[in-house]
Amino acid sequence: MKKFPFRKWNNILHRDIGYLIFGLTIVYGISGIAVNHIQDWNPNYSKEEEIFSISPITQIATTDEILKESLHKLNIAETPTNYFRPDSFTIQIFFDEKEYSIDLPTGNVFLEQTHERKVLYEMNQLHLNSPKGIWTFIADLYAGCLIFIAITGLFVLKGKTGITGRGAYLTIIGVLIPIIYWIYYLYF
Amino acid sequence: MKTKLLILFFAFSISLYAGVKKYGKKISLKEKTKISTIIENPEKYDGKRILIEGKIVDVCETRGCWIKIAGEKDFQSIKFKVEDGVIIFPLDSKGKKILAEGVFSVTKLTKEELIESAKEIAKENNEQFDSTKITSGKTVIKILGEGAEIK
Repeated sequence: MKKFPFRKWNNILHRDIGYLIFGLTIVYGISGIAVNHIQDWNPNYSKEEEIFSISPITQIATTDEILKESLHKLNIAETPTNYFRPDSFTIQIFFDEKEYSIDLPTGNVFLEQTHERKVLYEMNQLHLNSPKGIWTFIADLYAGCLIFIAITGLFVLKGKTGITGRGAYLTIIGVLIPIIYWIYYLYF
Repeated sequence: MKTKLLILFFAFSISLYAGVKKYGKKISLKEKTKISTIIENPEKYDGKRILIEGKIVDVCETRGCWIKIAGEKDFQSIKFKVEDGVIIFPLDSKGKKILAEGVFSVTKLTKEELIESAKEIAKENNEQFDSTKITSGKTVIKILGEGAEIK
């Protein structure tokens, strides 16, 4: 009986599935780095802030009048998407991707503009599975493929550089990295 | 004819997607509670599932893990806190209308607890924190959010 050509099929599957998940790996890899540093920056949005002044808005009774006067002083003709007064001294006026926060007694204006980081935003949405639905299935399948690639990768080569030689040492180091780090994290 | 129908179908799908964006669990309640009514008597709603409608006036900048929702009255808003990573509210959702469902919670915090909590929030938002500004305890109200629809 002919022996099943294990290594041949292992390498074919490793190679072809590797090609197949190239795109997803790039998406998850780039987004992974971006999201890892969420404490230092917003990976989804860029933000521009500006502070300037208009003349103070006082002695106006209603919020609607304050809004009208604010827009007039800001020289904005566009209708805001919404507005809110968090306290009696402040009005927030919202537009798409833009917010004016006005300190009424001083006339100080804080303008904040947010913009989606093109491509990176979409990558992060996919990485964090925001769309849910069918993407959950695709992401699970991708994770399964990654595991498959990792396992078949062990058996691509034989001999000194394979899993019975150098490959064994490198694999053990790779397995030990998360274990040692976790022990260090827990006890030191 | 088939092509036209397909175009119509896609246009309709896109318009639906563009109209309302859903987050988390499906909204199950039909009856909405006014934010002003909740704020007038928070204890009455403690631990109860509620549905509110309002406008988003603030968003957690780092993780999108909370938003503040204001109702029809000035000076009133409620924090809608969601589990980290389960729902991520976009930063550009400020000013948009929202329908949000979750469990309302009232927590009485001592001065020390309040300082600790404010310190955490400041850290989350990369803001400076001055503990001397907090002089006494406070009753904190929030909704533990489960599902939302942003228009």
